[in-house]
Amino acid sequence: MKDFGYQEDSTTAPLGDFNLWGRILVYCRYHWQLMTAAIILSLLITGATLGLPYLIQTGIDGYITNSELEIAERLSGLSMISIIFFGLVIIVLVATFFQVVTLEYVGQSIMHRIRQNLFGHMLKLDPHFFDTNPTGRLVTRLTNDIQNMHEMFTSVLVTIFNDLLRIVGILIVLFLLNARLALVMSIFVPIAVIITQLFARLARAQFRRIRSQLAKLNSFLSESISGIATLQVFGRQKETRKLHEKLSFGYLQRNLDQIKLFGTFMPLTEFMSSTAIALILWYGGSEILRNQLTLGELVAFLSYMRLFFQPLRELAQKYSIVQSAMASAERIFQLFDLKSDRILADKPHSAEDIHGNLQFHGVHFSYDGKHQVCKDISFTIRRGETVALVGATGSGKTTLVNLLLRFYDPQQGRITIDDIDISQFSLTNLRQLVGVVLQDIFILQDTLLANIVMDTGTSRQRVEEILAQTGIDRFVDRLPSGLDTLIGEGGQQLSTGEKQLLAFARVLCRNPIILVLDEATAAIDTESENILEEAIAESFANRTSLVIAHRLSTIRRADTILVMEEGRITERGNHDELMELNGHYAELVAMDVYNEAT
Amino acid sequence: MNITQTYQTDNDVESTPAAPSAKQLLRHILPLFRQYRLRLFAGFAALIVVDFLQLSIPRILKRGVDSLAAESATREILLRYGLYIILIAMGVVVLRFIWRYMIIGFSRYLERAIRNRIFAHIVKMDTAFFEKRTTGDIMAHASNDLNAVQMACGMGMVAAVDALVMTVAAIAFMSFIHVKLTLLALLPMPFLAIFTRILSGRMHRRFTTVQEQFSLLTEFSRSTLVSVKLIKAYTMEKFQTREFDKLGRKYVKSNLGVARIQGLMFPIATLVGNMGMLLILFFGGRLVIIGEISMGDFVAFITYLYMLIWPMMAIGWVTNLVQRGITSLTRIDSLLKERSLLPYAGEEVEKQEQITFELKNLNFTYPSSASPVLKDFSLTIGPGIHGMTGRTGSGKSTICKILARLYPVKDDSLFFNGLDVNTLAVESICANIGYVAQEPTLFSNSIAANIKLGKPEAVDEKMEEAARLAAIHEDIMAFPDGYETIIGERGVKLSGGQRQRLALARALLIDRPVLIIDDGLSAVDVETEHQIFAGLKEHLQGKTVLIVSNRLKLLTMTDHIIVLENGEISHDGRHEQLLEQSRFYRSMFAKQMRESEQLDYK
Repeated sequence: MKDFGYQEDSTTAPLGDFNLWGRILVYCRYHWQLMTAAIILSLLITGATLGLPYLIQTGIDGYITNSELEIAERLSGLSMISIIFFGLVIIVLVATFFQVVTLEYVGQSIMHRIRQNLFGHMLKLDPHFFDTNPTGRLVTRLTNDIQNMHEMFTSVLVTIFNDLLRIVGILIVLFLLNARLALVMSIFVPIAVIITQLFARLARAQFRRIRSQLAKLNSFLSESISGIATLQVFGRQKETRKLHEKLSFGYLQRNLDQIKLFGTFMPLTEFMSSTAIALILWYGGSEILRNQLTLGELVAFLSYMRLFFQPLRELAQKYSIVQSAMASAERIFQLFDLKSDRILADKPHSAEDIHGNLQFHGVHFSYDGKHQVCKDISFTIRRGETVALVGATGSGKTTLVNLLLRFYDPQQGRITIDDIDISQFSLTNLRQLVGVVLQDIFILQDTLLANIVMDTGTSRQRVEEILAQTGIDRFVDRLPSGLDTLIGEGGQQLSTGEKQLLAFARVLCRNPIILVLDEATAAIDTESENILEEAIAESFANRTSLVIAHRLSTIRRADTILVMEEGRITERGNHDELMELNGHYAELVAMDVYNEAT
Repeated sequence: MNITQTYQTDNDVESTPAAPSAKQLLRHILPLFRQYRLRLFAGFAALIVVDFLQLSIPRILKRGVDSLAAESATREILLRYGLYIILIAMGVVVLRFIWRYMIIGFSRYLERAIRNRIFAHIVKMDTAFFEKRTTGDIMAHASNDLNAVQMACGMGMVAAVDALVMTVAAIAFMSFIHVKLTLLALLPMPFLAIFTRILSGRMHRRFTTVQEQFSLLTEFSRSTLVSVKLIKAYTMEKFQTREFDKLGRKYVKSNLGVARIQGLMFPIATLVGNMGMLLILFFGGRLVIIGEISMGDFVAFITYLYMLIWPMMAIGWVTNLVQRGITSLTRIDSLLKERSLLPYAGEEVEKQEQITFELKNLNFTYPSSASPVLKDFSLTIGPGIHGMTGRTGSGKSTICKILARLYPVKDDSLFFNGLDVNTLAVESICANIGYVAQEPTLFSNSIAANIKLGKPEAVDEKMEEAARLAAIHEDIMAFPDGYETIIGERGVKLSGGQRQRLALARALLIDRPVLIIDDGLSAVDVETEHQIFAGLKEHLQGKTVLIVSNRLKLLTMTDHIIVLENGEISHDGRHEQLLEQSRFYRSMFAKQMRESEQLDYK
C-alpha cells in the first residue's frame, strides 16, 4: 500500500543487445545444472503433450475404426493405448510441477543475487550520487526493475522452452500428418502473433493510464484522510467529495475503456480457434474425400490445433515482457557500471594508535563547482579539546562534518588526523575513528538495546556501563521496558531529545577517538536536555570533539568557538574572548539576550 | 433469469454466523443491481446465448465427422458446415463483447458508487475515528476490499453463470449422446473443482504474503537509501546488506511457496482433462467398436469434455472470489456502519461576531488510551488573546482539538455562546473557527490553493495580505512560480517553519471570529514569531484567540495565560501574576532566560 505505482516512462530496450544478454547469462552460470534439468523437463513435457493426440489418433485409426482386426484384438489394443496414455499424463503432471518449481527457484535465486549485489553496490556509491538521484528511482531499481527481470527469467524461460518447443513440435507433427493441411493451418501463426502483439501494446498503454489514475485517486484519498481535521475545520467536506468523485469518475472511464479493448481482443483468439476447426472440417474433410487423410488424422488435427493457440498467444505476450525486462536490465546494469570516482588509498593506514589530533589545513570546497561553501578553513583540535562551530544556516558548518567523514573531498587543502591525511585511511577505518551524532537518526524497528549495539557486538553489560557512566541510563529508565523497549514504527515513539540521546549512546558504543555532534536545533524537553548536557560533559573529556552548536551551554563549554559566516571562519576564541571582541558572536548572543529581556 | 437471485444464493451459502446478516450486506449492493438491471439483463442474456452458441460448434463438428465416416459427405456439405462454424464464431465475438461491456462495466459502476460512498462517509467522521483506524487501514478498504467486491460482482458473477450454464448444457448434450459414457467421462471433473478451490484459496494467501514481503523489501531499501549518509557515517553498510539479505531470502521463500501451488494448479487441470480423455478413449472407443455410438459422437464427446475444463476450474475459483468479496464487503460494511459522534444534523448557528466557549466539568479520555487527559475541566474563553502553556502531555492540544470540534464531547460539557454544542450542527460551529496545528497538513497543490483552502473565492490581494501577516509572502515570492508553486511530493519541499507560516496565512485568510493556534509557530525562530504576533495584534482585535506555546516570551504578549498541569489548570492570569504564583511558570521562564534556549539563527 505504500507504493502507489512509481513508474518509469521508457519501458522497452532492444532485444538484440548481446552485451546485455551476456551480462544476464553470467548470473545463470551458478545454476547451470538446474537449468539443464529444466530444459530436459521441457523436452519431456512437450514430447508427452504432443504424444497424447497422436495416441488418440492411433487409437481411432488403428483400433476403433479398424474393422480389419478382430473385436477382441481391437479392444486389447485400445487398452494398451489407454495405459500408455495414462503414463504420459502422469509424466506431464510431474514434469510440469518440477519444472515450474525449478525455474522459479533459479529465477528467484538469480534475482536475489542481483538484488544483493546492487544493494551492496549502491551503498558503496558516493553521497554525491544520492544527491542527484531521487530515492524513489533507486528503490524502483532494487524492487520493480528486478521484479521485471524475474518475470522474464521464470515465465519467459518457461515460454521459450515449452511454448516454442510445443509450437514447433505441433507444426512438425501436422506436416508429417498432412503437409497441405498443415500449410493451410500455419497461416494462423502470423495472424495470431500480429493480433496478440497489437493487443499487448494497447493493453499496456491502457494499463498504465489506469494505474496512474488509480495512483492519483489513492494519493488524493490518503492526503484527504491525513488532512481530515484541516478539511473539517475549514469546512471543505463537500468540495473535497466533489473532487474525489471527479477522480473516481476518471478511473471508471479508464476502466470502461479497458473493458472495451479486452472485449474486442479477448474473443479473437477464440474466434481463430473456431475458424481453424471450420477449416479443418472443410479442407481436411475434402482431403478425406480424396483419400489423402484418414478420419483419425482429422481428429488428431483438431486436437493439435487446440493445443496450438494457447502457446502462440502466450509467446506473443511474452515478447513484450521480455522487452520491458530488457529495459529494466539495462537500467540495472547501468547502475552497476557507476563506480565511485573517489581515490582510495592503496595501502590504507592502520587506525590503531591514533591519538586524535585533528587539523584542517586551508580547506576549500564547493558542491557544484561554482558556489564556494568552504573557504580557506584551517583549525586544529587536540585530544581533550572541544571546538564549537556557530553560525547561521548555510554558513558551511555541516559541510565541514561531511568533509571530515569523506562524504566529499575538498577541492583544495587537507584534513589530517595525527598529521596523516584522512584519505590515507580506509573509509571504514576513518568512520570508525570519527563518531558522529547527527540530528537525524536511523532507527531500526527493534529494541532500544539492538538500536544502540547495532553491529558492534557490544555486550549488554558494557552498554549498561557506558550508559551509567554518561547518565543516559536515566533516559532508558524512563522507557516502559528499559533497554528492551521496542522503538521505531509500531513501537515507542521517541522525542527529538530522546533520539539524540540514542544517537549519543550508539556512538559511545563505538568508542570513537574523534566525536562530532550536530546539536538538535528543535526545542527538546528539559529532562532530555539535562541528561544530554551531562553526557556531553562526560564523553568530551578525553576525546577530540567538534560540535555544531545551537545551545549556549554547549558553546560556553568549548575551548574554542569558530564563528562561520558564508563559508569563512570570521572569529575564533572562547566565549569571553569573543564577547570582548564584540563582533558577530557577541551580536548573536546579545540579540538573544535582548529578546529574553522583553 | 433473475440475476439478483443468483447472487443472493451464493451469498447465503457463504455467510458466516459472526458476520452481519446477508440482508445488511446486500443493502450496499442490491440497489445498484436494481439501478443497472437492464444492463445486467442484456449482459447475462448475451452470456447465455454465447454459451449455447459455443456448445453448438461440437454438434456441427459431429455432423461433419459422421457424414465423413458414413462417406455421405460432399465438399459442399463440408463447406456449409465450415461456414456455419465461422458464422457462429462471429456471433460469439460480438456477444462476448456485449456481456463483457455490460457485466464487467456494471462491476466498475458498482465500484465507483461504493468508493464515493466510502469517501463521503469518512470525510464526516470525527478525529476519534481516525485514531482507531489508520490511514493505511482505510486505504485498504478503499482499494483492496473494494477490488474484491468488484471482482466478485464482475468476473465472479460472469464465471458463476457461465460455468453453471456450460456445465449443465455440456452435460445435457453429452448425456443425449450416451448417458453412461457421460457419467464416466465426468468422473474426474468434481476433483478439479475441489482442487481449484483449495489451491486458489491457498494461492491467494501465499500471494498476499509475497506482496507483504515485497513491500517490506521496498520499505527497507527506501529507508536505507534515504538515510544513506547515516549508514555510511556509522559504517553500517555490511549490517544493512545482511538485513536486506534476510528480507530477500524470505521473499524468495514466499515466492517459491506460490510457485509450488502454481506448479500444481495448471498441471492438475490438464491432468483432469486428460483423465477424462483417457476414459473417453478407453470406454468410448469400446462403444464405437461395439457400435453403440458413432465416430462423430466420439469426436463431439472429446470436444465437450474440453469445454468442461474451464467451467470446472471456474467453479473452484468463483467460490473463493465470492467468499473474498463477502469478507471484503463485511469490512466495508463495518466501516460504513461507524457513525460520526459529531452532530451533523443539529441546529445551525448563525455566523457570530463574538464568541465565548465554555468548558464545564469536562472529562476526556482518548479512545486509544486508558487514563483521562482532562479531568473535571472547566474553562471559559471569550473574546481576547489567551495564552496556554504546560508540559508535554498536560492536555494543551486536546483542549484545542475539542474547541475546534474535532472530538466529540458529552452533553453539557462544552457550550458555544451558552448553547450546548451537541445540539448544534458541527459544520456551522466550524464555520466560526480558524485553527492552526503544530504539524499542519498542506495539500499537494499550489501555494495559492493551499492558502485559499477555506475561501477559494478570495481575491489575490487578500491572500497576499494574509501571507504578509504570516511573514511568508517573501518566502513565496522567492519560489520560481511564486504563489503558483506546487508544493508536496511532486513540487517544492517546504521547511517546517514555512509550512507553519503557510498554515497561519490560511487561517488568517478565512478571518473567523475564533482563532486557535496550537503551538503553530514552534519551528519559526523566536524573532520572526515575535514580529508576526506584533503585526497580528490589530487583526485579532475583538476575536477569541487561543495561543498554545512553550515559549513564554510569546505568551507575555497575551492578555491572559493558562498554565496546565496533568489535565488541570494549575494557575491562570497575567504574566506578572504567574511569575509570582506558579513555581512551574517561574522556573520555566528563568530557565528560558538563562539558557536562551533558542539560539536559532535562521
